[in-house]
Amino acid sequence: MGDVTVTIRDVLEAHGRLLVSLSNLSDDDDLFENGLTSHASVNVMLAIEDAFDVEFPDSLLTKSTFESIKALREALESMGVEAPSD
Amino acid sequence: MSILVGIDVQAIDEVEASIKEFGARYTHRLFTDDEIASCGDGPGAASGFAGRFAAKEAVLKILESNEIGPRWKSIEVRRSLGGRPEVALHGAAAEIARSQGIEEIFLSISLGGGIASATVIAQVTQGRIGARQWAT
Repeated sequence: MGDVTVTIRDVLEAHGRLLVSLSNLSDDDDLFENGLTSHASVNVMLAIEDAFDVEFPDSLLTKSTFESIKALREALESMGVEAPSD
Repeated sequence: MSILVGIDVQAIDEVEASIKEFGARYTHRLFTDDEIASCGDGPGAASGFAGRFAAKEAVLKILESNEIGPRWKSIEVRRSLGGRPEVALHGAAAEIARSQGIEEIFLSISLGGGIASATVIAQVTQGRIGARQWAT
């Protein structure tokens, strides 16, 4: 599951437009408090879907799904993602 | 009667970049078919989408919900015959508006300096279920 986290971090680096470096954020840190906007969340969602070949169901399209790296990882787990896409 | 106010801004270049990278997956996830048709695919499309996204986010603020997905398309920006932007709510967004006694939402969108901004003002009649604008 570590590689999934790496991919999530890569997506956030490319699309999250965060105000701090990903290297300074733990998996539990609040992404919205660190600059993630609603619009950036859309890009993160689409990029994660591309990376893992999944589609977020409506039930997961809540702010809480995108509030941390851990929450995104758990959302992917609930969609059956267990291994990195590469 | 009380009033609720919501405001949001969206950088137009961010929307342009999203359209360039994700194309129709981006637009169809956020906007209704009518909104997509209204914005077109010309040089002003990103401005149109940015204004509509800001409007949807401004409405979400007055609806007081932490959901960020399914209701993007249930909040629709339309143009009146006179050209004034209007908000039409559907599905879950309409239900929430009804439950909160929101009778009507007034919208203004402005573009400039690379930014789209939207302001919404909602008229709330406490204790009364509004059905005028949110029929479906």
